[in-house]
Amino acid sequence: MALPNQQTVDYPSFKLVIVGDGGTGKTTFVKRHLTGEFEKKYEPTIGVEVHPLDFFTNCGKIRFYCWDTAGQEKFGGLRDGYYIHGQCAIIMFDVTARLTYKNVPTWHRDLCRVCENIPIVLCGNKVDVKNRQVKAKQVTFHRKKNLQYYEISAKSNYNFEKPFLYLARKLSGDPNLHFVESPALAPPEVQIDLVAQQQHEAELAEAVAQPLPDDDDDAFD
Amino acid sequence: MDPDSVSKAFVEHYYSTFDSNRAGLANLYQDGSMLTFEGQKILGSTNIVAKLTGLPFHQCQHQISTVDCQPSGPAGGMVVFVSGNLQLAGEQHVLKFSQMFHLMPTPQGSFYVLNDIFRLNYA
Repeated sequence: MALPNQQTVDYPSFKLVIVGDGGTGKTTFVKRHLTGEFEKKYEPTIGVEVHPLDFFTNCGKIRFYCWDTAGQEKFGGLRDGYYIHGQCAIIMFDVTARLTYKNVPTWHRDLCRVCENIPIVLCGNKVDVKNRQVKAKQVTFHRKKNLQYYEISAKSNYNFEKPFLYLARKLSGDPNLHFVESPALAPPEVQIDLVAQQQHEAELAEAVAQPLPDDDDDAFD
Repeated sequence: MDPDSVSKAFVEHYYSTFDSNRAGLANLYQDGSMLTFEGQKILGSTNIVAKLTGLPFHQCQHQISTVDCQPSGPAGGMVVFVSGNLQLAGEQHVLKFSQMFHLMPTPQGSFYVLNDIFRLNYA
C-alpha cells in the first residue's frame, strides 16, 4: 500500500512490513535498492518511511511498498496501524546478537495478530560478520511456523533478492516465477566469505533433517 | 514560584537528565512511583530506572514543544502534560511523544514523580 502522497503504479503492488529488533539492519537492507531509496516517502503522522521496491519478473514488474519504522520498535511493540493491510512481511534478526533472535517469536505473534495468513520471510542478517552468535543450525523458528528463512548480509548484498523472490512467488501463486533483471543496488560495503557461508548453508540444509527442539517458542536460551 | 514555572523547570530538568545521565532520574522517583511506558506498567524507582537505562539506544535528545500544568488535590500536587520530539542517535527522523507527570511535594519543598505515563505518537 502506497502512502497518500506517493505515486501508485499500474502493475501489481503489495504492502510489505519489515519488523524486528532495533539495530538488526532493517533500514540498511531496504536502502540497498537504489530506485526505492530515490522514491521513498516519509509519513510523519504514521512515523513510517515507505520505500517502493520494483522487481522485474518473467510475468512483468512487481512492486513492494516496504514499510520501515523510524525506530519506534526500540520503545516496545509497534501499533496495529503499522501492520494493518500488510500483505507480506520480513522478520529480521541479527545473527551476531542472540537477543534479537530470541525476540523473533514476539515479532511473529504481533504480526500475525493483525495480518493473518500472509507470506513471511525470516532473515538472519549480518552473516558477513565473523563472530556469529546464532549459528545457522540453531535457527529453527521458521520450521515451526512454516516461514521461509534466508541468511543475508545487507552490507554485502548477499541474498538481497531472495526474500523478495519468495514473497513474489507466494503472492502470485506461481512457484516458477523468476526475476529476469536485477535491480540497481548500492555497491557492497563489505565482502562476504563465500566459502564460510556455503558451509553455513550446508549446515542449514542438514538441520532440516533433524527433529525440532521441544520447547515451544525459544530455540535456545 | 508559580505552578507553570515549577512545571517548566521540572520538565527541563527531567529531560536534560534523561538525555545526559538516565541513571540520575532515580532521584526523581520513589518506591511508590509508577511509570507506564508504551503500555507497560513499572512500579518503583529502581525498576523504572532499570527500564529507562535498559532502552536499546544510548544517545537521545528530547525537544519540548508544549508543557501544560494543573494544580492537583489538597496535598499540593501537580499534573504536567508534555508533548515534543525525540531524536535518537542514528535515526533519520524524529519521533513524536507525549508524557504526563503527576508530581507530589516532598517535605523538603521539592517534588517527586508519583505517576508517569509515556507514549510515542504514531500510526
